Amino acid sequence: MTNQVYPKAHLNDYGYKEIKHIKPILKILAISFAILMIFMLYLPIIVIAIESVNSSVITSKFDSFTLSWYTNIFNESELLNAIKNTFIVSLIATSLATVLGTLFAIGIDKLPKKMKSKIVFLNNVPILNADIVTGFSLMLMFRFLMLLFPNIFGLTTLVLAHLFFTLPYVILSVLPKLKELDPNFIDAAMDLGIKPYKAIYLIVIPAIKAGILSGMLLALTMSIDDFVISFFNTGAGFDNLSIWIYGVLGRRNLTPSVYAFSTLLTLLTGGSLILFNKINQRKGKKHTK
Amino acid sequence: MIKQYRRLAIPYIVWLSLLVFIPTIALVILGFTNLTSSIVFSNIQFTFSNFTIFSEISILTGFKNSLIYASLTTIISFVTGYLLAYIIYKSKFKNKFMIMTLMILPMWSNLILRIDGLANIMSNNNILVDLIGFSPLRNLIGTPVGILIGMVFTYVPFMILPIYTALEKIDYNLDEASSDLGLTPIKTFMFVTFPLSFKGVVTGAIMVFLPTFSGFAIPKILSQGNMIFLGNIIENKFTNTVYNDGALLSASILLFIFLAMFLLRRFDKEGETLL
Repeated sequence: MTNQVYPKAHLNDYGYKEIKHIKPILKILAISFAILMIFMLYLPIIVIAIESVNSSVITSKFDSFTLSWYTNIFNESELLNAIKNTFIVSLIATSLATVLGTLFAIGIDKLPKKMKSKIVFLNNVPILNADIVTGFSLMLMFRFLMLLFPNIFGLTTLVLAHLFFTLPYVILSVLPKLKELDPNFIDAAMDLGIKPYKAIYLIVIPAIKAGILSGMLLALTMSIDDFVISFFNTGAGFDNLSIWIYGVLGRRNLTPSVYAFSTLLTLLTGGSLILFNKINQRKGKKHTK
Repeated sequence: MIKQYRRLAIPYIVWLSLLVFIPTIALVILGFTNLTSSIVFSNIQFTFSNFTIFSEISILTGFKNSLIYASLTTIISFVTGYLLAYIIYKSKFKNKFMIMTLMILPMWSNLILRIDGLANIMSNNNILVDLIGFSPLRNLIGTPVGILIGMVFTYVPFMILPIYTALEKIDYNLDEASSDLGLTPIKTFMFVTFPLSFKGVVTGAIMVFLPTFSGFAIPKILSQGNMIFLGNIIENKFTNTVYNDGALLSASILLFIFLAMFLLRRFDKEGETLL
């Protein structure tokens, strides 16, 4: 036996670096970065909220706290009209998009593979396309249609345009859920004597509910927030909220009730989404038990 | 397999073909005509004279501004958006629905109103200064930095969501395998995580670049009308009903859209990261 000392290999020789001591620092950096980003995303919303309780109409001065702009919403007929138009268009477009999009997605899911990938790709076009190109080109087409139907500009064109860019969101969120659905369920249902279209209602839709809901939520959000496409496709006198605000901002006499309405809408949406999530989680826990 | 359901897709195929192809072709064709509102459809004439607009200084400046600002916005959104998506991915916070809610909730306040709010706190005398004595963005209105901040924080959610979706789909075993095989965390990120999340980056980059390249509300409000972007020119042509020039300029944006489609087809054919 020789007392030879073998060289000891250390982790560092393999390029391993001990980073335990900088981990807490990295974590703090990461958290502060995340908070900063989310703060910046919400900064405009905070400003809108501050404006909504500011008693002064001058947007650069804070006078005193008031809630009167909230009650004043109902006295602003132009604002009310714009809100009404926005909701009419978004609700019609979103409900149509949800129902039709779900049915279309079920059809697309069953197409031959090659055809399916083509349609799915084409479906992405309205999402990716620059709003201004979508808006302008749809406007041109509606203008041609105007030769046949002279009065379509307004509600009809807006709903069609909104349907055009909301449908893809519904289809995109429903398709992955359909992929997870076992086709045997449908076969089994039919073996048990259920008609194919009834099977959609009884088997498919309950299974893809989550996808339909998130598609609907996205479609509604995009539709409510849309400015550019609506701007090009609305008719005279049919202003939705964004078009109306854009017009009024030019004249610099925006009523603070707009801020009040916006804050209210954000709070309501945020509240209901969090509530919805809570209910869903509780349901999920029940199922696993 | 239920082939009967295929019939359900037919109306959508017709709808997409009608509303994607026909308007786009109409847009391109109109760019070559003399159609403005004063001309009736019956005396429509084809012409190449519209192309002279590409030699106008104002339009070239618009193109240049749009291109520079959209590229910068995309790069900044990529860096910050990726970091945030990665932090969320690495954290214990795994509720996708809540993350989506957090990102899209600001969109429930009107876009124009949000930009106006930013414009407010970017001006010299603003509500935050009046209320708490300082504003982090004071005196930025009209400056390039101000416009960039406005664009980045309007569109960065469209970068964060696709990247997060792509990251979320990565199998955690791959991460462990690469550590077992001796890669350091940084190398794991470079050779495993990042390539697998790249399709999210492509989708995000497209979803940020195209709207910033063609948008007109943000530059108009945040530059206080001092800077002309491509979108502003198209908006002006539209409000003055010079449809042919407007169509030609919109059609030029199509070139970028085709490039985007090509990239998407290459990296994310199924559109998995679009949501």
